[in-house]
Amino acid sequence: MSKKAFLYCLFSFLLLGGCEGQGLQPELGLNPRISQSGDDSSPSLAATGMAWIAPGSAQVRWLDFSTGFGSPLPGLNRSDAQPISVSVDRAGKRFALVRSLAGRTELLIYERNLALLRPIGLVPAGVPAKVAISGDGRVLAVQVSRGGRWQVELLDLP
Amino acid sequence: MIWQVRCKQFLLLTSFCLLNACGQRFEAPGIGDQQDPALSGNGRLLVTVAERSGRRAVRLVERSTGNELPLKGLNWGMPHRSPSLSWNGRYLAFILQRGERSEIVVFDRALARLRPLPLPGERSPQALTISPDGKRLGVQLLHRGQLDVELFNLPSHEPDLPPGAPLQ
Repeated sequence: MSKKAFLYCLFSFLLLGGCEGQGLQPELGLNPRISQSGDDSSPSLAATGMAWIAPGSAQVRWLDFSTGFGSPLPGLNRSDAQPISVSVDRAGKRFALVRSLAGRTELLIYERNLALLRPIGLVPAGVPAKVAISGDGRVLAVQVSRGGRWQVELLDLP
Repeated sequence: MIWQVRCKQFLLLTSFCLLNACGQRFEAPGIGDQQDPALSGNGRLLVTVAERSGRRAVRLVERSTGNELPLKGLNWGMPHRSPSLSWNGRYLAFILQRGERSEIVVFDRALARLRPLPLPGERSPQALTISPDGKRLGVQLLHRGQLDVELFNLPSHEPDLPPGAPLQ
């Protein structure tokens, strides 16, 4: 092995070793776009962006990784509703949401491309608290309170 | 073009009207309350935090069979919370409570290896989400009484991609 090849191998080895030791690396370009004064909650990552509940007017927000900026979510947020939990599919097109509105807690699906928001009923009735949607957008997992117990329920979506 | 969108809207509306969801539940003897659900990207796996003998621990279930999958190498002595799965379920990220301290850990199911990921500064993780490819984390952090959401890269992770997805 030539000296040059040896040095190349050594450099690659050190580089790989360095990567293995790397832990969490803050996304310095994106994090300032998220943080606001107040409490942020319920982060949910897609391949193309992140949804979360922002403080202040307590709205669901969407940060697009390709642009580094937020995008509007027409028809999703209401000033009189309080979002509790949000989850988004891999493409960032279908959102699942639990929110409190007029004293009731409801489970909803939002289609971003169509700006369409639809409620989903639970049978038997229960109070949803947390929701997760699969990356392909076809399955919901919902944490539901029934009779003083927490249960997790799976729902197939059309 | 517009009629295509309208048609899609109509079909979705009809489908949702029919969807008064009757769900599937995975209960088992000795399992108490189940909370904090998360799904793998393809929806094949469900992870929850279940109470067993008064201890809160992650529970991984295969949807099609309802079978609980083994998670060898996890620390079962300490409470777990806020689990999240990558697309194929290779990476399971969650928060581990070590006494007063909370820490982020990622369990690589392919290598059966638990990897602690310490946070810089005096910040305490409250909730997290892992990206479908397993290379990014979104974390809700408590710092000086305020909750912020921050993004982190995991450069040493091999991507956990859906079949046929291009490497970026």
